[in-house]
Amino acid sequence: MIVNYNWLSEWVDINYSAEELAEVLAKIGIEVEEVEKTHKDTILKIDITPNRGDLLSVIGLAREIAAKTGKKLKKRIEYKLPKVKKEQKINVTVESNEDCPRYTASPLNNIKISNSPNFITERLEKCGIRPLNNVVDITNYVLLETGQPLHAFDFDEIGGGIIVRRAKNGENIVTLEETDKKLSKEDLIIADNSGPIAIAGIMGGFESGITEDTEKIILESAFFKPSLIRESSRRLKISTESSYRFERTADMYMVGYAACYAIKLLEKYANGKIMGKIVDTNPNPKISKKIPFSYSKVNELLGITIEKKKSISILENLGFTVSNKTGDKSEVLIPSHRNDLTIEEDLIEEIGRFAGYDNIPLRFRYSNHKPIWVENREIVEIKKIMVCLGFWEAINIPFIEPYWSSPEKTEAVYLENPMWSEKGILRNSLIPGLLENVKRNLNRGEEIVRIFEVGRVFTKGKEEEENVGGVIGGYTLKNWYENDREVDFYDIKGVVEAFLEEIKVLDYSFQNCKNPLYLEERALSVVSGGKACGTFGLINQEVCKSNVFGFEFCIKKLINSKKEKRFRKTSVFPPLKRDISIIIEKTAPFEKIQTLLDHSTKQKARIKLIDVYHAERIGKDKKSMTIRLEFYNPKKTLTDDEIEGDIKLITKKLESIGAVLRE
Amino acid sequence: MDLESLGKEVQLAIQKAASLDEVESLRIKYLGKKGELTKVLHSIGKLPANERPKAGKLANKLKNELGELIKEKKEEIKTHKSLPWEDLSLPGRRPNVGGLHPLSILSHEIQEIFIKMGFSVVTGPEIETEYYNFTALNTPKDHPARDMHDTFYLKDGRLLRTHTSPVQIRTLEKHSPPLRIISPGRCYRVDTFDPIHSPTFTQIEGLWIDKNISMADLFGTLDLLAKSIFGKDVKTEFFPSYFPFTEPSAEMWIQCPFCKGKGCSVCKRRGRIETVGAGMVHPNILESLGYGEFNGFAFGMGIDRIAMTKYDIDDIRLFFQNELQFLRQFDDSKL
Ligand SMILES: [Zn+2]
Repeated sequence: MIVNYNWLSEWVDINYSAEELAEVLAKIGIEVEEVEKTHKDTILKIDITPNRGDLLSVIGLAREIAAKTGKKLKKRIEYKLPKVKKEQKINVTVESNEDCPRYTASPLNNIKISNSPNFITERLEKCGIRPLNNVVDITNYVLLETGQPLHAFDFDEIGGGIIVRRAKNGENIVTLEETDKKLSKEDLIIADNSGPIAIAGIMGGFESGITEDTEKIILESAFFKPSLIRESSRRLKISTESSYRFERTADMYMVGYAACYAIKLLEKYANGKIMGKIVDTNPNPKISKKIPFSYSKVNELLGITIEKKKSISILENLGFTVSNKTGDKSEVLIPSHRNDLTIEEDLIEEIGRFAGYDNIPLRFRYSNHKPIWVENREIVEIKKIMVCLGFWEAINIPFIEPYWSSPEKTEAVYLENPMWSEKGILRNSLIPGLLENVKRNLNRGEEIVRIFEVGRVFTKGKEEEENVGGVIGGYTLKNWYENDREVDFYDIKGVVEAFLEEIKVLDYSFQNCKNPLYLEERALSVVSGGKACGTFGLINQEVCKSNVFGFEFCIKKLINSKKEKRFRKTSVFPPLKRDISIIIEKTAPFEKIQTLLDHSTKQKARIKLIDVYHAERIGKDKKSMTIRLEFYNPKKTLTDDEIEGDIKLITKKLESIGAVLRE
Repeated sequence: MDLESLGKEVQLAIQKAASLDEVESLRIKYLGKKGELTKVLHSIGKLPANERPKAGKLANKLKNELGELIKEKKEEIKTHKSLPWEDLSLPGRRPNVGGLHPLSILSHEIQEIFIKMGFSVVTGPEIETEYYNFTALNTPKDHPARDMHDTFYLKDGRLLRTHTSPVQIRTLEKHSPPLRIISPGRCYRVDTFDPIHSPTFTQIEGLWIDKNISMADLFGTLDLLAKSIFGKDVKTEFFPSYFPFTEPSAEMWIQCPFCKGKGCSVCKRRGRIETVGAGMVHPNILESLGYGEFNGFAFGMGIDRIAMTKYDIDDIRLFFQNELQFLRQFDDSKL
């Protein structure tokens, strides 16, 4: 909200510069975002919290300044509706007192539409409101000063009386902005005998608006139910100075004051004359409420010692009435503009606010309270492992293109109001975001990108899951001891194997993987305890003409497959090594050989693949493999004789699957 | 000096010696004609007759041992081959090590501070219901405070949480006070994507429910937090504020670390920067959970903003573009 410094000074003596005032207001929780010097005046841009509708006006802010400085307002907020002899009768029917607890209508004639005086147009402009003509400007001027929204109808455009009622489904109205709005029974409207003439508290209708030819007006000042205005304003997508204030609750008493104030200005600057009785559906509204209160609770809750006298003076400066000033228990009478206050704690906040938060001591309660559960330890652990494996952590915005979802899109979680229309779903995988990161980095001239993310993924009908995913793209770095090469499948496989070992998922196997994210011929899924917990392989999309390899795991499933490693005795005796080279069908998987030989020997042996090559001379469909066997015995150094039997056994086994031994 | 410590002294000196000359001078110093050990040997004759044989045996043994050691050392020095020249200034073969994202680094750091204070860490879903995100937090549907949280909705009517406060409600439903928790996590609010706005951010919220908790406890805890993040000299200031789920409510600001309070572009000339929103938990919330006899405080902070202040980052989008050039600058990750 914007407020003029000079306008404020008409209501309260301010012994501060605008900058000092901003600081004083900050201390009572009113944040001044900007102080701007303009011609002959200074304006303050203020951020009013949604609970304080009463501060959306000059008077509201003046009240707070007066309470803070212990001064009285320079003008009294009192009114008396003018008595009228001539009776131009207007009928006002309010269908529901709950929707509209107070409605006033003041008829004026003899109006001369013209420009407003300079002081009005200048102030409106500084507050960001475009001046139109004297009548409309005066309603806006009073709104800014009192916080009470007003509306002026052209009397001659109204047929019959005024009815405050819910709209009928299918009714519509052309608003002042000349847009056609379809109404429903959720909308409160002002109507005449032919239909809606205004959307209550939000915007007037085009037909009944003030024009150059207007001679008679009806001035409306009312109180509408805040939630009703809020819902209508959102549904109809109209937000105005008026709806903004009604949503935040207007002041029942101010309804009358603002009407009288506006009438005075209309008489003075628009030549208006009251031509009939002013209708007021609720001339003596119940405007104050009582809140029970105890002085000792102030100190308990604030952790400070405030004397009772001080508490009382703060409450009284705010215009509240304190019923009991001697005992501990009291009752505080709250005036109509402070709708935000309902419980004792609200009053204690008022006392804290004006006593100053600076006076609250800093205390830290030490206790032997221990953290009971720390839920994301594993996630931190996983991130650190990825860092050690050479990956940089990314954080992506989890909105992606529906393209990435399953072909039928049945599993996609769609946003109702997406941030970017093309990225309409929540990610079901971390890979799409990571691919964007690879692209950006390769374009920035990076040679290799290793990047990972830990975050939630979303699938329709399933609970969201925390995943870890990573990608590698580009070329390994060329340096003085090594040549560069394009990253390949075994880079990602190595990362996956090392990662699984680090987080102690030890019992796992690889299986074929049919995930559209990857090319099927270059993808595997990881199975542990009979369940798939992740996938890896060549991503089904090139980035900057480079192959990108990725992996993704569900963290919960990984943790469920975790096994504590058991210590095995180490052997002090060196292993006995034997290399066996074979020629075998090109398509024979190493895994087959490994399973064939594992645990098959009499002496314990580790099996390692140390060479693979293809060459014309060994045959087009063949390959050569060299397998290293490391025999070891925890109790002694093995001799050649002791492994002779095992070598024979292995040779036989290899031959049984079509391998030919090379010399 | 007794024989034993003399022996140790000589052994050490021989080990350290690096040249033949050095070893030779050691031999003269201890085993030469006027050497220290020789002196000891000579003095044995002056001992009472019954002690002589034992002392003589010991001294001779030591003499032989040291003589052997000196011989070995000389041999070792003589046979040492000199290595060919090598350019030791070549870059080392470095293993690949990555790094954590600055938001993770800061978030973990803050979590550790609270864990030390006895807080538990709790997480919850990012897709939430109206009830947990708003209603249970004293923010009914028609409440203007909803404007503070412009919300992403899903087609099925659920929403992306706008803060991690739902985790507090979910925790209180399962565990009764007293308790202390923090809930870190991703949150979402409809916003533009520009240097100072982003549709998602990382939040850490805290909750401390017990009996007789006051604003002084809240301010003390937050002040301690600020000092742990920004250093012990940081100046904190508390202002009244408004949140529907706390009463009274407050904000903690810290003195702008860039201009030291004088006002600059980072702090929009205010001299201070908003860091934490907080307050005493609204009695309505505790009562509806059946914990009317307790009270306590809650607070929340956006890690992105704090990281921008701490690391002097002027564009929030850098956090989500994940450029290695950017990420590498934070590789002092506390591993
Ligand atoms: Zn600054």
